[in-house]
Amino acid sequence: MYKILSEETDKSGMKVLNIDKSDLVELMEDYKNRRYYLSSITGVDMKDHIDVIYHIHNFDKNDYLCVKVSTSDEKVPSITKLWKAAIVDEREQYDLMGIVFEGHENLRRILLPDEWVGHPLRKDYDLNKVQYISMDRDGNEHVSFDDKEGW
Amino acid sequence: MKTGDMGVKTTTLEKALEWGRSNSLWPLTMGLACCAIEMMATQAADVDVARFGSEIFRNSPRQSDLMIVAGTTTKRMAPRVKRIYEEMPYPKYVIAMGVCVIQGGPYVDGYSVVLGVDRVIPVDVYVPGCPPSPQALTYGLITLQKKIRNETDR
Amino acid sequence: MSHWIELNIGPVHPATHGIYRFRVKLNEETVEDVDITIGYLHRNAEKICELNYFVNNTIYFDRMDYIDAMNMELGYLRAVETLMDMEVPERAQWIRMIMAELSRIAARMVGIGALGLDVGMLTPFFHTFHEREKIQNIFVEASGGRQEVNYMSIGGVYQDFNDTIINEIKEFIAGFKGKLEEIVKMFTDSEIFWQRNVGTGVLEPDIALDYGVTGPMLRASGIPYDVRKDSPYLYYDKVNFDVPIAKSKDNMGRFLVKVEELRQSVRIIEQCLAKLPEGPYFNPKAKKSAMLLLKGQGDVFTRVESESGEFGVFIRGDGNVKPYRVHARSPSFKNLAVVPIMAKGSLIADLIITIASVDAVAGEVDR
Ligand code: SF4
Repeated sequence: MYKILSEETDKSGMKVLNIDKSDLVELMEDYKNRRYYLSSITGVDMKDHIDVIYHIHNFDKNDYLCVKVSTSDEKVPSITKLWKAAIVDEREQYDLMGIVFEGHENLRRILLPDEWVGHPLRKDYDLNKVQYISMDRDGNEHVSFDDKEGW
Repeated sequence: MKTGDMGVKTTTLEKALEWGRSNSLWPLTMGLACCAIEMMATQAADVDVARFGSEIFRNSPRQSDLMIVAGTTTKRMAPRVKRIYEEMPYPKYVIAMGVCVIQGGPYVDGYSVVLGVDRVIPVDVYVPGCPPSPQALTYGLITLQKKIRNETDR
Repeated sequence: MSHWIELNIGPVHPATHGIYRFRVKLNEETVEDVDITIGYLHRNAEKICELNYFVNNTIYFDRMDYIDAMNMELGYLRAVETLMDMEVPERAQWIRMIMAELSRIAARMVGIGALGLDVGMLTPFFHTFHEREKIQNIFVEASGGRQEVNYMSIGGVYQDFNDTIINEIKEFIAGFKGKLEEIVKMFTDSEIFWQRNVGTGVLEPDIALDYGVTGPMLRASGIPYDVRKDSPYLYYDKVNFDVPIAKSKDNMGRFLVKVEELRQSVRIIEQCLAKLPEGPYFNPKAKKSAMLLLKGQGDVFTRVESESGEFGVFIRGDGNVKPYRVHARSPSFKNLAVVPIMAKGSLIADLIITIASVDAVAGEVDR
């Protein structure tokens, strides 16, 4: 049985459940059986740890719920087995925030090319280190830090 | 251009070619972002770019001689823009539409936007605005026509 | 014997409605699988939002769903105002509602016109864009911008409605009612349009919910979910409108739902105009000189119904004048992900219609 660490209400009046990441799949499965669906996944870089925030939604009762987990080693269990919507969401968060969703079958970058270095939405991502993309004849993209190779 | 006695006009071959070329520019639909919608509006009934000989927006680079780059060129898109530009037959012209394409626009601080499409392909006419109104794009087109005919705005 | 072909559509292709790349695996004419590559318009809006003041960020939201700019602004401002506990005066709320609905009509005009182009009908495109042009003239009158308007700001709107604007809106609404029926008739009178839309791109409600699909696509699958109705914002609870659904779950259902929503939008605008009260149009707490000093603390997640679905905005503020993290839950991003399922087993020609009926906007998918 999962354990809810604390419960609060955020500014918009939404119920927030803080849980440990090991309980995540179990809790989500419970809510899935109560006909909740995944709405969005957000990662927030808090410098020493990363908050992963799930918004789930019940269409019958029109109830929105927010589930928060925090991770210090960038790893969170994947919930793609429960909802297919998580496939693209988790890929996006992996791409931009660098959260590794364990158990995701196809965890690749989705918005940036595969060779991109770093995860841009991290607070320590250096915007001054410009990366350039080029494309070879077969359509594969290559990334380099040299502005002669690519744009 | 001179008018002779019998109503016959004489001109040089180049001039005739330039005149013909400038009045039937076929644009390529290179709609990348928000500006593309204004480009569509330019094509639609209210502004009607057909009055200037550019009614047929071609979807194939092989059939067009003007590329209107409308919308943010991201780093991922830049090599593709270049490849499509290379596929166009000569003579070819480029209009850069919108501040994004000119120098990065609102996204100039970011990490994934090319700061100006002129780093990728040569640009003939710049049309500023975010997005430029259809009238502005039409003006840009007329400017390009003048440029092709070697006229200057004075 | 079956014959495999892999066909590449995009990134720059008229049928993709934006820059996505579809890699289609074909068994002769039948679609077996679609692999969608996105990210060609990734403009890092979320990162730039972190670098800017709260008030400056509306322009990046304008440019997300660039054909429906008002609703995008509204989505962001709802979140920011909740975060800052900022009250919005009554008149400003009604004005916002009118503008949001006008923007929805404008966006649908692009979508429907483009759908026409995809089935080979050139005529509706000119009619829909003519109507859109009228709305844009109203926007110019109110804000100075045609498409990326940046009209609303924290605590109100940029400029009050004057009589010219109200008259223009009334005139537009009066003309649009008849015009809409005319445009719809162009589609529904066409036998080809029916044949290509009925029974193609079927989306079952279970799959739609599983993939997080919202908006007209979800309603066309038979689930009457509309944020405006289910958790009303602005004054959507004070006006009468219906949420249309379709039982057929196919492309035709989606088209009809979109059209019916346009009629409802017209209804909403009429009621708003009748109820528009006098009063201030912005909150003096957010006046120009104080704008950059507005601070926010805490987490919010708010949603609005945009043209393509439920648009949610998550903001975390750390008590500073700049947001700590901004995340947009974009409906098109989810809606597009379901295309492979809808297209599976259909003909390649039907795939094009299916993509058109999703109405995904690249700026919002990639952000
Ligand atoms: S110039 Fe403005 S409207 Fe045009 S693509 Fe860039 S952001 Fe969009």
